[in-house]
Amino acid sequence: MRIPAIVTLLILAAAPALADEQAHLVLRDHIFTPNRLEVPSGKKFQLVVKNDSDQPIEWESEELDREEVVRPGEENTIFLGPLSPGEYAYFDDRHQDSKGVLVAK
Amino acid sequence: MRRSRGRALLASACLLLGTAARADELRLITPNDIGYRELEIEHDGSVGLGHGADGGGFYSIEFGTGATAWWHTGVELDVEREGGPDSSTAVQGVTLENQIRLTRPGENWLDAALYSELSRSTLRGGPDDVLVGAALLKDVGRTTHTLNLFFDKAFSTDDDYRGVRFSYAWQSRWNLYRQFAPAIEAFGESGRVDRPDSFQSGQLIAGPMATGVILLGPLGKLRYEAGYLFGVTDASPSGTIRWKMEMEIPL
Repeated sequence: MRIPAIVTLLILAAAPALADEQAHLVLRDHIFTPNRLEVPSGKKFQLVVKNDSDQPIEWESEELDREEVVRPGEENTIFLGPLSPGEYAYFDDRHQDSKGVLVAK
Repeated sequence: MRRSRGRALLASACLLLGTAARADELRLITPNDIGYRELEIEHDGSVGLGHGADGGGFYSIEFGTGATAWWHTGVELDVEREGGPDSSTAVQGVTLENQIRLTRPGENWLDAALYSELSRSTLRGGPDDVLVGAALLKDVGRTTHTLNLFFDKAFSTDDDYRGVRFSYAWQSRWNLYRQFAPAIEAFGESGRVDRPDSFQSGQLIAGPMATGVILLGPLGKLRYEAGYLFGVTDASPSGTIRWKMEMEIPL
């Protein structure tokens, strides 16, 4: 009885997400560009973070309870939302002076 | 990092032998807590209190890392303090832990990971143990709900350790602040899969927890969980204190 229930839960987990909007961030010289990035509110979206530096970064947002390590020269996709309208701060946990804001509208 | 499970075999053995139930390892596994490019040093502990407890406790320390963005591996040292008047503390075993993330956070309706432990007893005649299971997580608004389901098999000539046993853990957390997020959680064991215990004979403890993350700049971050779990069934200690501290150091 339990094993089929677990399999059902794993199938639900594997269900692919619907195509989401993408928003792009680039980190170069410890600066995120754009520093204030507009993202959609009320629906899921993908935040693509590109690390254009020569060190790994850890994109992190306390308000969104999300973190992601991005290796030098690579880009990672972070799945976010739906967000309420407002501002959500983020930073690079390895270099905490590097920070920015997602603005959900 | 993130984890939960109970050692049904040892608890069940205590019950079969007519001794008081005691605190066992209680862990909550978070599917997304891989710790890629981080060294994770984690300490867990739990102590049973009050009626049905013998004052014993279970403690562990783990060193782990995210070998890839989807695979966490670690080695854990398990220590138990026996209850009763002649209590002693001894290393019980060494455990190899592995966690494989099946989904990326928020990508699908549910986040999921597979989890396994291989435990080698350091006690003479103590059972070795294999545990496998699933860790599932769902964010709803500012709340996070985590469910763990585990199957546990001990290898011993002792009849008390026969069969595959089932245990589970659940936590619902309100993400109030990163530094402090209150939660409610439960840990249960229902005995052998082919011969489940009655509800009152199984272990079930539940209660409030404080959880949070403290950023320590270049040193990394410290995650904590601490709380008090009440015994729900006759076989459970009337109270259990559980805590966890985890240091994540960037590599």
